[in-house]
Amino acid sequence: MNDDRSRRSAGESPRPKADLGAADLRAIVSRDLRRVRPLWPPSRRALALTPLAIAIVVGVPLVNFFRTDLATLGVVKAWGLSMVESAAGLAIVALGLREAIPGRALRRRALLIAALAGLALPLVIYRVTTDAFTVGPRTWAQWRFGMVCFRTSVLAATPVLLVSAFLTKRAFPLHRVATGILWGLGCGLIADAGLRLYCEFTTLPHMLLEHFAAVVASMLLGVIMTSAIAPPSRPKE
Amino acid sequence: MARDTKISPGGGTESAELELCRHMEAYLEGRIEAFDALYQALAARVRRFQLSLCRDASLADDLTQETFLQMHRSRRTYEPGRPVTPWVFAIARHVYLMHRRATARRLRFEATVAADVRSDETMHDAARALGDADEVRHALRDVPADQRQALLMHHVHGWSFSEIATRLGIRVNAAKTRAFRGMRRLRGHLR
Repeated sequence: MNDDRSRRSAGESPRPKADLGAADLRAIVSRDLRRVRPLWPPSRRALALTPLAIAIVVGVPLVNFFRTDLATLGVVKAWGLSMVESAAGLAIVALGLREAIPGRALRRRALLIAALAGLALPLVIYRVTTDAFTVGPRTWAQWRFGMVCFRTSVLAATPVLLVSAFLTKRAFPLHRVATGILWGLGCGLIADAGLRLYCEFTTLPHMLLEHFAAVVASMLLGVIMTSAIAPPSRPKE
Repeated sequence: MARDTKISPGGGTESAELELCRHMEAYLEGRIEAFDALYQALAARVRRFQLSLCRDASLADDLTQETFLQMHRSRRTYEPGRPVTPWVFAIARHVYLMHRRATARRLRFEATVAADVRSDETMHDAARALGDADEVRHALRDVPADQRQALLMHHVHGWSFSEIATRLGIRVNAAKTRAFRGMRRLRGHLR
C-alpha cells in the first residue's frame, strides 16, 4: 500500500494487481493485520433488535391510538398475532443478516419461500382477524383516504431499517438484492405488527394499498439501502 | 436451506477443515503465520476454482490474490467454529463475478468509443487519426500524474469514481476533481 503511495507521488501508476505476488500479498496483509472480533451470529444480531421491535409494536398505537375494536378482537387475535408477526419479522431480518455472510447464503428456493411466507403473513393475519370487510374506503380510487397508514408504517419501520442497515454494513453482503429483500421485508412486518393495533379499517383496498404496500415499500428500501452500503466492486485493470 | 453445519471432530476431510478453522481463528487473533498456513492450504484450490471459471491461467492467479485480499478485508464475517472452505469459496466466486462485471463494463465503454470513432468522419483518414493519437499522447504527458491517472481510470478503463477512490485511497470527490481537472488540462493542450 505504501509502495503505491510512493509510486503515485512519483507520478507513476499504482502497482497493477496483476503484479501482486504471494510475497506482496503477505506484506499487505501483515501491515494491516490486527486482532479483530468476529461478528455475532446473524440470529443473535437480529435478537438485539427485539427491544426496538417491541417499542415499535407498542409505540405505534400508543403514539396514535388503539383501534376501538381491540377488546372485541381479544388478546390472542390482537396482541398475540402482532407478536407472531413481529417475531416473524425478526426471523426474516436474521435470514437477511445471514445472507450477508459469505458462504451462508440461502438456496434460491429457501429464499423464495421465506420472502413469499413473509409477504403472505400480513394477509393471512388480516383474513383471520376480519369478519366484515366493510370499515374504511371501499373503492380502489379512494386510496388517498388511508395514506396515513402507509406513512405511519414506513415511518415506524425506519428505525429498525436503519439499525438493520448498520448491521448489514458490518457484514459482507455478496447478494445485495436477496439480502435487502429479506431484512427490508422483516422490518416491514415489524412495523405492520404495530400498525394493525392502531388501524381498524378492514376493507380490502385499504389493506392492500396501504398496509401491504407499506410492507413492500420497506422491502424495496432494504434493497436500495443494501445496494448503497455494500462494498464497491473492485475491477481489475 | 444452505448447508449450515458446525464442524464436528471425525474423518479425514473434517480434520483438515478443523485445522483450517484453527488457523482461521488464529488469523482473527492477528497472527501472520496463520495467514501463511491458510494461504498454503487454500491458494491452490482457490486458483483451480478461479481457473475453472475464467479459463485463463494468468487471470486465475490474479483473481486468487484478489480473493485473499477480500478475505483479509472481510475476515470478521467468519464465524469461529464454522467451515472455512464455503466462506472462502463464496468470496472467490464474488471476486470472479465482480471481475466479469467490470470487464463487461469496460467492453461496453470500448464499444461506445469504437462507435464514436466510426461515426466521426475525420477518423476515416488513418494518417490523421494516428497524428491525433500522437497529439493526445503528448498532451497527456503534460497533465499532472495524479490527474492523468484518475482521467485514464475513469475515461479509458471505465472505472466508477467510487472504485477509483477505493483503489487510490482517496475520497470520491477528490477522484472526481482529479479526473475533471485532468480533462480540462488535456482539452487546453489540444486546442
